[in-house]
Amino acid sequence: MTEEKKEHNKEEFEPRIVGFLCNWCSYAGADLAGTSRIQYPPNVRIIRVMCSGSVDSMYILRALLEGADGVFVGGCHPGDCHYLDGNYKARRRMVLLKTILETFGLESERVWIRWISASEGQRFAETMRDMTDSIRKLGPNPIAKQWNI
Amino acid sequence: MMHHMILNVKDGDVSGSVNEMLKHLLSSAGIEALLVPQAVPSKKTVFPVLISDPKKLHADVFAPVLPVSTAAMVSRMTKVQPSSQPFGVVMHPCQIRALFELAKLNQVKLDNVVIIGVDCLGTFSVNTYASFPEKQNPTLFLLESFVKKTNDSEKYLRTACSVCTDMVPSNADIVIGLYGMDVEHEILIEAHTEKGKKLLEHLQLETGKDVNHRETAVKTVHEHQLKKYQMFIKEKSGLKGIALFAEFFDTCVNCHNCKTACPICYCRECLYESAVFDAEAYKFLRKAQTKGLLKMPQDTLLFHLGRMNHMILSCVKCGLCEQACPNNILLMDMFIPAAERTQKEFSYHPGKDVAEKIPMIVYREDEYKEVGEK
Repeated sequence: MTEEKKEHNKEEFEPRIVGFLCNWCSYAGADLAGTSRIQYPPNVRIIRVMCSGSVDSMYILRALLEGADGVFVGGCHPGDCHYLDGNYKARRRMVLLKTILETFGLESERVWIRWISASEGQRFAETMRDMTDSIRKLGPNPIAKQWNI
Repeated sequence: MMHHMILNVKDGDVSGSVNEMLKHLLSSAGIEALLVPQAVPSKKTVFPVLISDPKKLHADVFAPVLPVSTAAMVSRMTKVQPSSQPFGVVMHPCQIRALFELAKLNQVKLDNVVIIGVDCLGTFSVNTYASFPEKQNPTLFLLESFVKKTNDSEKYLRTACSVCTDMVPSNADIVIGLYGMDVEHEILIEAHTEKGKKLLEHLQLETGKDVNHRETAVKTVHEHQLKKYQMFIKEKSGLKGIALFAEFFDTCVNCHNCKTACPICYCRECLYESAVFDAEAYKFLRKAQTKGLLKMPQDTLLFHLGRMNHMILSCVKCGLCEQACPNNILLMDMFIPAAERTQKEFSYHPGKDVAEKIPMIVYREDEYKEVGEK
């Protein structure tokens, strides 16, 4: 495939991102982005969870293995967790998951975790822009083509 | 605190002499029972057997086979209620580590448990042991290979054992030592705790003998094994990308035997066997439509990666998962490199110290600051 054609294909590719947003901060942040009419790419499919600490590795892995191009986890800023320490635990879990993915060369850069507060509508929109761009550059998730999983 | 004693081996019968010692321990040291590896009548394998009658004790503590996790058996005995009476357990070093991990997970109560660790010369798979090629007693074969320093036993070892770097038990009350000993004549019996020391006082064992050569021998064998371990890690870290990863598990039939055999996987209701994975027919059909085809059963990789996320930090590299696989998937090729990397990331040493918390239940506010900020 020529470089030109490759570029063309990447332009056509629309990343599908699954976003797990915590009820108390990131989801409210996304809400604020919406009510403030801040534009951001529609590539993220949001799933509201009670806490970033409640996102088991299984949910992230399942999304990736079912072919999602990226998985986003949004939580409160460290120290601000509604349940005191859920996001600290989510942070460790993310380190563990990424380390395992890296061990097998499974593109850990498709998984993002970011802290977004209820007042950071702008930051949410920017983060979605960044992530969509970044995944667009990575290209489609190769797992989507693999059926023997 | 270490107390060395020497058990004199009678007529070169290593296992028999240890068995005699255990008999003494059971009949005179106030121990209610001993959980020891003992051959089943057919001699096809050796199981942990809980023995209260010294006359029925025919322990084969050096038998090179580990059909089930001894730690999981102690969990079964103590998790409902801690034992009120003392009992001893003869364990391989990996099983002591697993026992400590289970204690951290509240699946084992260590009250009144006397841990008797044995120097491990490695184990064979259950099938290899049951149909041992030389048609001779595997324990004798193993000990002979050890005494004569031939590598005859090496080719029969399970992968986990052949790259194991912790063949000498830590955290035991009593250690039965082989490395550095002239085992045809003498075996080392060591008390590592006050509890162990008190028990050994009931036995009339030779004390005060110099065992300095043991330390050197243990160091040498450790260095030798470490080299093998590092080579294994280097060799197996080559597998990269989803295509190769999926191919590795191509023969997996989702039986979950690896999970059942794993000493760390204690959940009665595994998430991966729960109703989360039940779905209506239309969902299967829809999934088939997205790719044009859907392999059944599905979620093979999800199970392995997910299970790994749940247990890998506590993995003691015993290899029982690999032994349990009906289709001989070489799970250690995946689990050892993953355990090495993740445990290093969290500076965690499973089974080393019962007070060391499992990384996923603790955190520090000032760590991993870059995660979630970039």
